[in-house]
Amino acid sequence: MLKVKNLNKKYGSVHAVKNLSFKLEKGERLGFLGPNGAGKTTTMQIIAGALAPSSGTVSVAGHDVFESPKKVKKQIGYLPEIPPVYEDMKVCDYLKYVSQLKGILKVNLSKEIDEAIAKTNLESVANRYIQHLSKGFRQRVGLAQALLGNPPLLILDEPTVGLDPQQIIEIRELIKNLEGHSVLLSSHILSEVQNICTKAIIIKNGQIILEDNIQDLIHNESSSIVHLKLNSFTKEIENNLLNLNYVKHCAQKNNKIEIHLTNSSDELLIELSKFLINSGVGLIEQSPQDLKLENIFIELTK
Amino acid sequence: MNNILVIAKKDFKSLVFSSPLWVISTLCSAVWSYLYLRELSTFVQRSSFVGGGPAGGADSLNIYYEVFAKHISLSNVIFLFLIPALTMKLLSEERKQKTYNLLLTVPISSLSIAVGKFLAGFGASLVLVFISLLYPLGTGLVADFSYSILFSAYLGLAFIVGAYVSVGLLSSSLTKSPLLSVMMGVILNLSILIVLGQADFLSEYPTFQSMIEYLSIGSHFVEFMQGLLQSKSIIYFISFISFFVFLTNRIIESSRWR
Ligand SMILES: Nc1ncnc2c1ncn2[C@@H]1O[C@H](COP(=O)(O)OP(=O)(O)O)[C@@H](O)[C@H]1O
Ligand SMILES: [Mg+2]
Repeated sequence: MLKVKNLNKKYGSVHAVKNLSFKLEKGERLGFLGPNGAGKTTTMQIIAGALAPSSGTVSVAGHDVFESPKKVKKQIGYLPEIPPVYEDMKVCDYLKYVSQLKGILKVNLSKEIDEAIAKTNLESVANRYIQHLSKGFRQRVGLAQALLGNPPLLILDEPTVGLDPQQIIEIRELIKNLEGHSVLLSSHILSEVQNICTKAIIIKNGQIILEDNIQDLIHNESSSIVHLKLNSFTKEIENNLLNLNYVKHCAQKNNKIEIHLTNSSDELLIELSKFLINSGVGLIEQSPQDLKLENIFIELTK
Repeated sequence: MNNILVIAKKDFKSLVFSSPLWVISTLCSAVWSYLYLRELSTFVQRSSFVGGGPAGGADSLNIYYEVFAKHISLSNVIFLFLIPALTMKLLSEERKQKTYNLLLTVPISSLSIAVGKFLAGFGASLVLVFISLLYPLGTGLVADFSYSILFSAYLGLAFIVGAYVSVGLLSSSLTKSPLLSVMMGVILNLSILIVLGQADFLSEYPTFQSMIEYLSIGSHFVEFMQGLLQSKSIIYFISFISFFVFLTNRIIESSRWR
């Protein structure tokens, strides 16, 4: 669906995007994670055709952004960081205007607009002026605008930034329930990506530092740490554990015992539980630690 | 083509329903009403003193030069300063409101954006030209005069307003700040009108002098004012406007290359 290759963007002396390459397959929802100033907005603007890169290529559904910009733009629904709405227009007039700009045929116009309004729950404000709308509603108008023409690729730049918690939940649900689109969503909030996306890329200073499926990211190296709850824990048991060749480290923390294993395979976890049961220490609980993406993120972007 | 009209229609509406246009037209009407009525009453007094009716057949040219021409020149000067205040919104507002991103990412060429915006600004400015035209037309209810020279002059005024709009559009594409855009527009208009108009110092080099005079917007406008409809003047204005609209197109295009 989307292929980005060796993308570079320099603003004068600021190298905002460095040799960025990634792919987005059809139907995937890719989270584009990074702290502020990482180059997310810049990359998205380039993909959407609002900005030319210093070098590199972007293709959407097989069309090159720079060779056939019009074809590519028809494939993309873009919600910029700040929703591009006209204060002095009514919601329905605004959506009509954008539909016309997108070249949607007259016969489909009202159907497209109604659909976009329905998907973003804007019925109640369709006849209100945008300047009187709350931030959350404006964001939804921005999203409705991106959905017009049912583009296969959605590019959403920090869609929940600056909203209150209730609005954040609503927008996230909205995005999760969109069907039939591939999505590139940027965020500096991990839980958001964890919640909405199927894959994630973490970028920092314009470079990719990690790329993986969400599930793999969560389990990656994380589960090499195991927490145990035992009926009794003595120095002897500790020594026995440390004598096992797959245990690197063992320590009591609060009322739990934290064990670092050499890797996170299931076989090892089974080995460990067999050993504990056989040694009769009274195994109450054995749980691999979910080293949340949060921790990875903080660790990586420090 | 369709894209151009979509943009032109939307921007025309938002210009016509916005306060700047109404502030400007109120201002214009106030100035015009005062000065126009003063000129007209002086004219009526003088012509009845000289003899004959207030505006008889023989006076038809006089009323044009004594009253209408002054009114049209005044309109021209007012437009020079106020059109940039009308056109400032066209592109700098899009940048300020961040709707520029929308225009750049829909399947529409930069040239269509520039042409659409020009048409919107031109349409809204014609409202002002029309208000200015109402004064001589109103006089026509009670006086008799030649309409052809009046319409030639107003065609000229419409062209020069088109030129101001194209200059204002370019200034509006250059900055996010509406105020700066107005200042740039006024300065550009003034320099085009004044600097290019002063070709006398070149009288020793007739070729250069006539070249500069051809480039001067004022000399072409004067021809319309004298009732001379010349194709070279019409071509001049159309090329002038096209040049500035094209420059605006390049500026929009270049914003992708920041
Ligand atoms: N128009 C611009 N001119 C100069 N530098 C810019 C411009 N836009 C962004 N930058 C710089 O490029 C870097 C990346 O910015 P951005 O893409 O907005 O990051 P993000 O969206 O991840 O917060 C930042 O260091 C920012 O200061
Ligand atoms: Mg950003």
